[in-house]
Amino acid sequence: MRRGWLAAAGAFLALFAGTIYLSLKLPLLDALGPGPGFFPLILALLGAALAVALIVELVRESQGAADTHGAEVAEPFMPDGAALFRMGGIAVLLLAAFSALDPLGYRLTALLFITLLLLVLGVRNVLAIAVVALALSFGVFHSFYYWLKVPLPIGGFGL
Amino acid sequence: MFDTLNYLLAGFAAAATPTNLLFALIGCFLGTLIGVLPGIGPAAGTAILIPLTFQLDATGAIIMLAAIYYGAMYGGTITSVLINVPGEAASVITCIEGHAMAKKGRAGAALGIAAIGSFIGGVVATVLLVVVATPLSKLALSFGPPEFFALMVVGLVLVTSLAGESLLAGILMTVTGLLISLIGLDPVRGAPRFTFGMPELYDGLNFIPVVMGLFGIGEILATAEKPYREVIRTNLKGLIPSRDEWRRSMGAIWRGTGLGFFLGLIPGVGAIIPTFMSYILEKRLSKHPEQFGTGVIEGVAGPETANNSYANGAMVPLLTLGIPSSPTIAVLMGAFIINGLTPGPLLFQERPELVWAVIASFFIGNVLLLILNLPLVGLWAKILEIPYQYICAGTLLFCIIGAYSINQSIFDLWVMLGCGIIGYLLRKLNFPLAPLVLGLILGPQIEKSMRTSLEMSAGDFSIFITRPLCASLLALAVAILAFAALHFAPKEIRDPNAD
Repeated sequence: MRRGWLAAAGAFLALFAGTIYLSLKLPLLDALGPGPGFFPLILALLGAALAVALIVELVRESQGAADTHGAEVAEPFMPDGAALFRMGGIAVLLLAAFSALDPLGYRLTALLFITLLLLVLGVRNVLAIAVVALALSFGVFHSFYYWLKVPLPIGGFGL
Repeated sequence: MFDTLNYLLAGFAAAATPTNLLFALIGCFLGTLIGVLPGIGPAAGTAILIPLTFQLDATGAIIMLAAIYYGAMYGGTITSVLINVPGEAASVITCIEGHAMAKKGRAGAALGIAAIGSFIGGVVATVLLVVVATPLSKLALSFGPPEFFALMVVGLVLVTSLAGESLLAGILMTVTGLLISLIGLDPVRGAPRFTFGMPELYDGLNFIPVVMGLFGIGEILATAEKPYREVIRTNLKGLIPSRDEWRRSMGAIWRGTGLGFFLGLIPGVGAIIPTFMSYILEKRLSKHPEQFGTGVIEGVAGPETANNSYANGAMVPLLTLGIPSSPTIAVLMGAFIINGLTPGPLLFQERPELVWAVIASFFIGNVLLLILNLPLVGLWAKILEIPYQYICAGTLLFCIIGAYSINQSIFDLWVMLGCGIIGYLLRKLNFPLAPLVLGLILGPQIEKSMRTSLEMSAGDFSIFITRPLCASLLALAVAILAFAALHFAPKEIRDPNAD
């Protein structure tokens, strides 16, 4: 967990360093008062200082733990294979759904997305998958598009 | 006071129209559903449902969204009692006594007293809101930009210091949220900031996909890490507490009401603290504290009442000062802004008919929730029997619809997914998300207040110290940070991702 925090603190430091660089390219002050770069610069400087403080605190803690208790017991951070499959499947399917939403339209995209998602999550009841996928694709489209007037994409196939 | 009563009566007239009653009912139903379903919290649930309200007028939209918010507080109790899983973070403490009561066959009594206590707490808190709203909003009218800047700093500091196990991490998240809010065109000069030449970023990052990603997608990914639980069959008999249970609950209900409302007035407290404090109070006052943990009804009545009293009380800083107390209220504030309204003292002056209609709807909503949660509790128990995979699929789909329908833009979907992955990683590392969301919502106003203050003083920073109220508020913020640095708050109430 401590390594994870160190990585996160490093990422924050990089983010704030980049923000400082970009803020300095904006006007900091002008005739009317603080410019567009003023507030981001202050925040980024504060953030960078905090990130450095967090890194220092974490390094001190790890040195203290090494002195008194020996090597840190590694806490498992990465999920197991089955969990990675589920999580990765969700992320990949979302990516695919976003890419397909405009060309295929909501109904077709949602039908494919829900079907594959339920399979990835371990559902094997074919009838249940079909009913849920149809309800959440065509049924939801009808409700949102015609009743609630929420515009949803209609793709090249008219779906 | 007579003016307040006149406004309130006019508010009832507006809130009790068939259309607004329907919106309140739909909001209460959806809010209870969100509270019942583990894996989707009130912040993400409210954010997902905001696009549904785009076609409604501002009053109807806010009535529905507010009903979703306090409805979720009612709904979270059901899963806590029946299956020992909190439907939302503030119901964690109910798992201790409520589920123990369920194991003794007293689930119905626990749910019954929770619903009735929540009703009493919600109604009394709304009465108190009516009493303090007008004087507080009038006081806030005397605030200038420096005072509003200082007040928002206090709110952010409170959220930061009470969320999570590390103060440094909390402040980092607050600063990150504030920086994200600055993406887009500078509101004063019109200069693009951090847009990298992308036109989609000129209006900044919309908070709805960000919140849906952090709290919705992130939570779903975190839940996907563990094997899905088996379907839970619930056994629910009778909702009426015994006479002895009534007698023991009444004191807890009134104490929970006062405690919840008072803590709701303090920006940044969050819903989990009133429930914990109520539980600790009831245990301290009990003649048999050793029985706590075995299914004691005061341990359900007090915290659940405090929870709902807090939910209504927390509307006071939002409506009168424009300061959100928690991520969900920050999302509500975003909904106000989307509808062209700025919560705060000027809203009472410019749109009193809307504000008082919303306040009147709180009374109506609490009645509706009592009806929904007592006779229909069997329905909610049935919903718990739906396998989580189907709930996950539905939630993801509604996230997609919600994020897409804001601007009909695929870009918002990518933002949501990116925030979802980041939210999952931050959740895994126990970084608190609440300060990030509040920073995102309050960022533009904090910057505007600060820049206006410095323009008033021709760039002199001493304006924040020479004005007594502003200086006092900033000193308070420093004091809160100092206390937090000394680890004042007990570790048990430092849930990093509680609402």
